[in-house]
Amino acid sequence: MKTKPGLFAIIFWLVWLLALAAPPAHGAATVSTPHATVTLLSEQPQATPGQTLWLGLRFKLIPHWHVYWRNPGASGAAPVIRWTLPEGWTAGDLHWPVPQRIPVGPLTNYGYEEAVTLLVPVRIPEGPLPAGPLTLTADAEWLVCRVECIPESGRLTLELPHPGSPTVGDPATQRLFAAARAQWPEADRVTGRYRLAGDAQTITLEAPGLAVDDRDEVWFAAYEWGPVDPSGAQSRQTTAEGLVLRVPAGDLPPAGDVPLDGLVVVETRDGGAPARRGYAVRLEARPAATGTSETLGLMTALGFAFLGGLILNVMPCVLPVLGIKVLGFVREAGANHRRRVGHGLSYGAGILLSFLALAAALLLLRAGGASLGWGFQLQSPVLVALLAYLMLLVGLNLSGVFAVGAGLMGAGQALTAGSGLFNTFATGVLAAVVASPCTAPFMGTALGFAITRPAGAALAVFLALGVGFALPVVLLSLWPAQVRWLPKPGPWMKTFQQALAFPLYATAAWLLWVLSQQTDARAYGAALAGLVAVALAAWLYGQWQPRGWRLGLLGAALTVVLLLLLRPVAGSDVAVPARADPERLTWSEARVRELTAAGRPVFVNFTAAWCITCQVNERVALATENTRRLFADRAVAYLVADWTRRDPAITRQLERHGRSGVPLYLWYAPGSETPVVLPPLLTEGIVAEALQSL
Amino acid sequence: MLQAFFRVFLITLAFVAGSAIAAPRVGESAPDFTGVDTQSKTHRLADYRGKTVVLEWTNHDCPYVRKHYGAGNMQEQQREAAAQGAIWLSVISSAPGQQGYVSPGEADELTRSRKAAPHAVLLDPEGRIGRAFGAKTTPHLYIIDEAGKLVYMGGIDSITTADPADISKATQYVRVALRERAAGQPVTTPVTRPYGCSVKY
Repeated sequence: MKTKPGLFAIIFWLVWLLALAAPPAHGAATVSTPHATVTLLSEQPQATPGQTLWLGLRFKLIPHWHVYWRNPGASGAAPVIRWTLPEGWTAGDLHWPVPQRIPVGPLTNYGYEEAVTLLVPVRIPEGPLPAGPLTLTADAEWLVCRVECIPESGRLTLELPHPGSPTVGDPATQRLFAAARAQWPEADRVTGRYRLAGDAQTITLEAPGLAVDDRDEVWFAAYEWGPVDPSGAQSRQTTAEGLVLRVPAGDLPPAGDVPLDGLVVVETRDGGAPARRGYAVRLEARPAATGTSETLGLMTALGFAFLGGLILNVMPCVLPVLGIKVLGFVREAGANHRRRVGHGLSYGAGILLSFLALAAALLLLRAGGASLGWGFQLQSPVLVALLAYLMLLVGLNLSGVFAVGAGLMGAGQALTAGSGLFNTFATGVLAAVVASPCTAPFMGTALGFAITRPAGAALAVFLALGVGFALPVVLLSLWPAQVRWLPKPGPWMKTFQQALAFPLYATAAWLLWVLSQQTDARAYGAALAGLVAVALAAWLYGQWQPRGWRLGLLGAALTVVLLLLLRPVAGSDVAVPARADPERLTWSEARVRELTAAGRPVFVNFTAAWCITCQVNERVALATENTRRLFADRAVAYLVADWTRRDPAITRQLERHGRSGVPLYLWYAPGSETPVVLPPLLTEGIVAEALQSL
Repeated sequence: MLQAFFRVFLITLAFVAGSAIAAPRVGESAPDFTGVDTQSKTHRLADYRGKTVVLEWTNHDCPYVRKHYGAGNMQEQQREAAAQGAIWLSVISSAPGQQGYVSPGEADELTRSRKAAPHAVLLDPEGRIGRAFGAKTTPHLYIIDEAGKLVYMGGIDSITTADPADISKATQYVRVALRERAAGQPVTTPVTRPYGCSVKY
């Protein structure tokens, strides 16, 4: 019993000692004016060498008064803080919470009412702290306004204890810092681009990654005065691509080739006060600047396109069509020369017109703001499924399951059967359509170049591709002597024709594999069932050769079945499964920036499941033992941008490098923010050489 | 369909409403205006063809206006402009009941007490001239050349604080522009950020 008072005394003494020794747990300095109470706070209770110390400047305002955001808007002024810090300490930029719009008559300002906390990171260097008190002084000037404005200022001084001092973290301060951070705009989630109207009055902003509800209010605020008029009305559209905002240009409209930085703010009004989310965006000028060294010249692109067209003829999807053409020439070896040439030319015209139509459609869609690149026809699961069905149909036709009048297969038959030029023209169109999935994997570079050019150049490149594609058959029609080496017409032709069905089945199988990467199991199953429906319809047609309304009924039934089956395909959207493989990170602009900022070397592989060149490159140059070891040795971050499905962020990145298709390989040497573009055909040697530049 | 039409209508409306305060562009004709000064005299911009015209939006209670009048900077530039043959018009667009709204007598008293030297002070309580020019701040300055084209719009100078000590360190944009015009040169910095209090429309 005796010890009790003594114990109490000791505890009391200890508490009293602590209270004396520990200065106010968190130093906090306050300045009060008639309109504002401004407090300087430190998040950490004490200074630690080598660490970042966060300071906060909290403004508490009387009702109806406001202070300003970094861009104050039509009038006003942002708070300015001059720091006086211990030797070697450096203060970073102020971190601004998402502001609100404050209307003043017809004008609009950006700022904060009631209260706001501006945070600033302070870098404390390694090594011993300076002796003596650690004094942090903020000389702050701020303008506080209701309608009228008062410039105010104050000096706030904070003293931080040295490490090891008995200090206690203050939960209220921690909460304040957490709350301030929660109001920061989200960085690196949204990217976009802008276009200045010809009269420099309106800026069209696109932030494709941002989905907003129709009821939300959305506005853009530039970081700096000038490019955007804060007071003008903004209108918005929500397209399939995401958000499109029309914003009135300010007194100094952006030059049109520099990025525009700012915030996209989304205000949700659910009854009470609006909830505000902000997204920091860097909007690239449109059209995207292209790396000059990388882009192909027009002549080179034309040459590549022509060669590509020639090569297309031996692609598994086109070869059968070509084979049939050749069969036709064999059959009509003795036919009238003029008619033969006519058919050859109409086949060529079918191809050229199809390519031109495709190019024109693509250019129109892009002009309408769709972010499409070459290969888009394989990025839509429905289109992929339909192309697979088409391959199957043409294949079944070759296999003899059904025959179409004068012959779907029958450009050749058409010649002998003496039917019109229209049939050969249609064969040309068919050849172009079946060729389209094969162009994406192999012709990405030339065609990708084409569609980022002005319309004239783009059409020329597509035309060159068509000419290359049509040439062999047209030449054969002009000089049929070239096919004399082929055997005389006979039963072998039927066997040959049936054999030609298999490259088409193979193409269909490949398309289905692509589809399997784009949809979930349910939708994929439905698409496979569609295959059966197509085969059944073809067989029914072959059996009964329906005409008139019966044919219409069969066609309608197949259409309805396919519509029903493809609905889940159109609807399904498979998020690319995050690969557990630590050697293979998913690409994003933000991640590249993060990694390069941290000094890591970065290799980016822009690829797609349907891109055969990409797959080949991965097998022979990237996934090899040697390259993997090289990447591991040099701590290279290997990022993969998967374009199997549409992804506007990837499309834009491709365009920035003058491409509109995959593959694209970028190499960021350590500490470099501008990548080296590697050639589209990789070898281990090329990769190793690029890495030597380390 | 109806909904789409309605949306287009709303957007159009928003643009029309938004354009009410749209600023003119440098290099284009300045909006012509008619304004009444403190002596009930009418001034039309078109009357000053052949002369350089400076428009200065002002509000004597705004701290930023006080910065430049208190230090004598604004008055000095008004005198320089007059000496070069330019017409300097101060414009007060504060609405009745708002800060800076003054009667003609009070405006003249302000000119006298501050030793200001504008060609005239225009009273624009309905904000018509202010909206036509997209005047946003006090001070906000515009220079119109002899042909009626806008050649400068923006701040009086380059340091956007309310501290008079900064005036001597700042580039005086209006003075520079007027000198360049007088020397027959184009204005090197034709658009700058206007800074100050909002115009109290």
